[in-house]
Formats: sequence, structure tokens, C-alpha cells
Amino acid sequence: MAGKDIIFENVKKSYEDKTTVIENLNLTIKEGERLVLLGPSGCGKSTTLRMIAGLEDVTEGKLIMDGKVVNDIPSGKRGVSMVFQNYALYPHMTVEKNITYALSVHKVDKNDIKERLEQVLEILGLKEYAGRKPKELSGGQRQRVALARALVKRSDYLLLDEPLSNLDAKLRLKARKELVKIHELYGQTFIYVTHDQVEAMTVANRIALMKDGVLQMLDTPYRVYHRPANVFTATFIGSPSMNIIEAEWGGGERLMVGDQCLKLPQMWKEIVEKHGRTKLYLGIRPENLKLCPGHNSEGLNAEVEYVEDYGNRYGIYIKLGELELISMADSVFAGRGEKVHFVPDYDHIHLFDRENTNSLGYPAELEEGKEESNSFMQAILNESPKQED
Amino acid sequence: MKIKGIFKDGQIFWHILMFILILISVCPILFAFTGSVKTLEDLYNGGFFPREIIFDNFKRIAAAVPIVRITLNTFIIAACVTAFKVITSTLAAYAFVYFDFRGKQIIYFILISTIFIPFTVTMIPNYLTISKLGLVDKIFGVMLPQLADASGIFLIRQAMRAVPKPLTEIAHLDGISELRILKDIIIPVTRPAIISTGIIFFINSWNEYVWPTLILRSNENFTLSLAMQVFTDSEGGVEYTMTMAMAVITMILPIALYLIFQRYIMSTFASSGIKG
Repeated sequence: MAGKDIIFENVKKSYEDKTTVIENLNLTIKEGERLVLLGPSGCGKSTTLRMIAGLEDVTEGKLIMDGKVVNDIPSGKRGVSMVFQNYALYPHMTVEKNITYALSVHKVDKNDIKERLEQVLEILGLKEYAGRKPKELSGGQRQRVALARALVKRSDYLLLDEPLSNLDAKLRLKARKELVKIHELYGQTFIYVTHDQVEAMTVANRIALMKDGVLQMLDTPYRVYHRPANVFTATFIGSPSMNIIEAEWGGGERLMVGDQCLKLPQMWKEIVEKHGRTKLYLGIRPENLKLCPGHNSEGLNAEVEYVEDYGNRYGIYIKLGELELISMADSVFAGRGEKVHFVPDYDHIHLFDRENTNSLGYPAELEEGKEESNSFMQAILNESPKQED
Repeated sequence: MKIKGIFKDGQIFWHILMFILILISVCPILFAFTGSVKTLEDLYNGGFFPREIIFDNFKRIAAAVPIVRITLNTFIIAACVTAFKVITSTLAAYAFVYFDFRGKQIIYFILISTIFIPFTVTMIPNYLTISKLGLVDKIFGVMLPQLADASGIFLIRQAMRAVPKPLTEIAHLDGISELRILKDIIIPVTRPAIISTGIIFFINSWNEYVWPTLILRSNENFTLSLAMQVFTDSEGGVEYTMTMAMAVITMILPIALYLIFQRYIMSTFASSGIKG
């Protein structure tokens, strides 16, 4: 453990009316990393961030920062800076005053303030706006002022609460790249809250995915996408969502899907048998669900329901018994009502326990040499539409 | 508003109504202004405007009462009461908005309910206290029971509640003290509300009549509203032109203040949802 790690030890957060927002959170945020807290609205991600900031009390458990339990340490003494969703710029102060206010209150040397101000204005391209008030700035400029105010403190931890959600799509794309660059420049520990999975994937070194106050998975974007720990993670990450199909282990090599049967390869058979459960979910991402024309006893037979044209790809909705699945394809060969079948690509399937929705794990053969988070990140960044600055 | 807009969608009715209401409010003020520069005969026999503008009424007031001293008394009382009320209201409102403490809601409720206690109920106990303190016939005796005000707490709290919480949270994160947050962030942001609350306090105190009547006895300690009474009740009947002149002296400062700070006053009432 490095000295400046942030550690949540069995942390619980509940309010006076007994609403519990965070249940027994155990999480270590490593010094200098970019950790993204991701999850749907009300999952407790902002509360977790606010606990780090000291803006919310910890009800139970320990929150450790810089090697000390900080449960009772006021927010001003935790060495954190923060960017709020609505930026929280002081409306009556100029950009320059907004950025330097805290430093001047704490009587930091004037030359030092000037130097830091100039550096941050330069990096964020705010030089010409220094004399303006927040109301005279655009959304993107305000966001940068809020970031400048946080950076100028040179604190150990930078907390960002949905900092890009008030920006339009094009600006958001630009801003998130800037954020990553700034992190590389300053090297602070970034804790970033968002509900946008693409933002999370592109910004994070690691993602902490939360739901209803419970940490669902903490891992690299690659693993969160390719090795989801449970059904929630599998379906939350990725668009369109992963197809989840009820299946039953029939012994031998047989995985039953309704009255149809799949032949599982040895590597998956071992996983299922080791786990000892029979009621399962089979997960297949839409891009890994490759359709073939006609019915075939080798795979699962379905019918095309309708086709969505995304311009560069097609979303083909198929009916498998009562279940609706989606396949992403570059071309369409079958129209509505036509028979199709698919044989899962067993390198890209996921099996979950139907009872607790947890993943059964992955065959060792698939894990070898697959820690390719950097190339995966690159792939995602390349996929993003080009922007005009 | 553009002239066109006045005639649109039945707006004309509301504008006529508003014009009538303004006329009703403004007429007595204009009447006082014109009456103050008329002779008594002109007032009874002439029209609305004076035949000849005379300033005798003002000169006679100056001869009859120490008018400068009285104006100063009124100003000192109004300024001190306003300053104290604004300071106490701002501090209390900040605590009610930004601090969490046990019984906050109940204390606030009790404080606000004091607005509804009629003055006549507190008048006698207050008088007895002031009398025991030996402050009868002293302007400090007029000020003392008025140094804090629940309605000020209410108005300023409303304005502070509208300030987004992250503004103070970011200051807390930066390790700024509560007093600095109040001074550097909250007061500047809620300045229109604080100024207009102050103006209201000032005008109320300036116009106050019953309480100073109880406390103040001698002419040199009088306030303007008490001095006006001297002319209304003087022997030989009411000299309306003198009363009008006195009313003009009394009105000038509050009207000037209102005109200067009109923008702030309107914005406070608009945002608190209370009609003035």
C-alpha cells in the first residue's frame, strides 16, 4: 500500500431517515491512478466521492487517506480539490479571482500565486478570459475555470463529479482528452464520477462500477468489458447491452437453451462442472453474435424480428423463443420473419450463475495474453467520432 | 416593455388597473408636496397646484422645533436599528441555512412565529424594561428592543437558500473559515436581498410612531413622526400646510433611498414570493 492510497474499509453511509446509500464498501484507490466511479443514478457514486471530499460523514467503517483515518477530519484539511457538476464558480469574482481566491485566503506567497495562475491559465487556454466573470463565459470555459481552480491548489487528490455532463457532445469529447492529458501532467490521484460508460472507459485506469450502494466490480476498462464479474456489469457496460439468455447445464457437453441445445467446448465444460450449478445465464455481446442464414441443428435457431440501420452498422433483432436478442452486423442478409441461426463464438461468451448472477469465471486459455487494456483503450479512443476543435 | 405589448392579449385591462392604483398611491404624496409650498388660504381655496410657491411653512417649522436635531435623531435611530437588524439577521440566516444543529427547525419556527405577535402585546413589557433601565426619553431606549428582527432572518434566509450549496462546499474544501465564506461569498452573492431588507428596516424605523411616542418626552429627543404630531395638535386647530411641510421633510429621505435602491428591493420581493 502506498502512502497516499485512499482506502474504504467496510464503509457504510446512511442518512437520518435510515436510508442506506452505501453498504459495506471496501475499495482501495491507488495513488496517482485515474479511478472512475461509474453507475446508474442513485447508485451511491457521488456519495462515495463526497465522503472522500469530507462533504458527507462516514456512518460506519474507516476511510483512510494519506495513511490516516480521516472520518473526523474536516474537508479543508484532507488535501483534496474538486470540480462540481455545475462548476460552482463564485459568480461575483473574475476568473482570476475564482482561481486564486483560496490561495490568497491561505496567504500563499504572491509570486507563487502568480506563477501557478499563469501556468494553469496557459495549460487550459484561459489567458484571455482571466478578467471575465463566470456569466460571461461559455459552458466549456466555465468547466475549464473550475478545473483550473482545482489544479492550482496542487492537492494530492482531484475529485471530479460528472464534470463534463453539462457540455455538449463534441465539447465533452475534447474535454475528456484534455482531462487525461492534465492527469498525466500533474499526476494527482483522479477520482472521477460519471454515469456515462464511454466517458468512464476512456478516462479510467480502473473503473469501480456501483449499483444500489454496492460495488459490483473494480477493474480495468478492458476487464470490465470483457470479463464482467456479474450480470449487472455485463449489461450496464456496452451499447447495445449484452444479450442474456437463460440456459441450463444438461451434463455431458450440453447447454440447453429452451428446447435447443449447444455443445460447450471442453474449456467451458470444466468451468461449469467446477462451479456445480445447473441454472445459468449465457451472455453474448451483440458484436459477437454472428448470424447465419436458415436453421441449423449445430447452433441456436431464431427468426429476424426487425432491423435497425445505424449508418455504419446494422442492429438485427431476433426472436429466440420468447426472448429478444440483438446482433450487430456490418451487413444484412435476412429480412423480417426470415429464419436464421447462430453458433456462439466460445472465445467470447460469458456464463453467469442464475441464482446470484455472478460470473462463473473464464477458462485459463482465454485469460492468457489478454491483458490488453492499452490497445483496448486505444481502440475505443479511435472509435470515437472525430471532433473539430 | 414595448408599447405594442401593452395592448396585446387583454394586457390593456391590467395596465389601466395598475395606472389607477398608482394614481391612488401617488396622489396623497403629490398633495403633500404641493400643500407644503402653499399658504393656508391657497390650500383651502385654490386648485391642486399652488398659485405661488412659498417656503414659509418650512421656515416656521425650523423656528418652532429643533428640526435638524430631530432629523438627526431619526436618522441615528433608523441607521443603528437597520445596521443591527441586518447584522443579526444575516448571521442568524447563515446559521439556519448552512449549519446543522439539533432543534434547528423548531428554533426557526419559534423565531418566525414572533413575527405574528402584535406590537401591542410586547409594548408594555418592553416599556417597563426600558423604564427600569433608565432609558426613557433617550434615543437608545427607542433602539434597544429593535436590534434583532425575525422577518429579516426570514427574508435573508430565503435569499441564502437560493445560493447553490456547492458554492459553500467548494469553499469548505479549500479550508475557508465560516466567517470568510459569509463575508467573501454569501454576502456578495445575496447582496441585493440584504440591501433591500435593510431599506425596509430603515423605512419602517424612520416612520415609527407609537414606540417613540411612549419613550421620548422632550422636543430635542423627538423623531420626525413625533414632531409632526406637534403641528397637528397645536392649539388653534390643525395647520395643514405646516403638517404637509413636515410630512415632506419626513418623506424625502425614504423616497430618495427607495429610488436609489429600487432594483434591489424589487428583486428581493420577486425572489421571496412576498408582495410588498
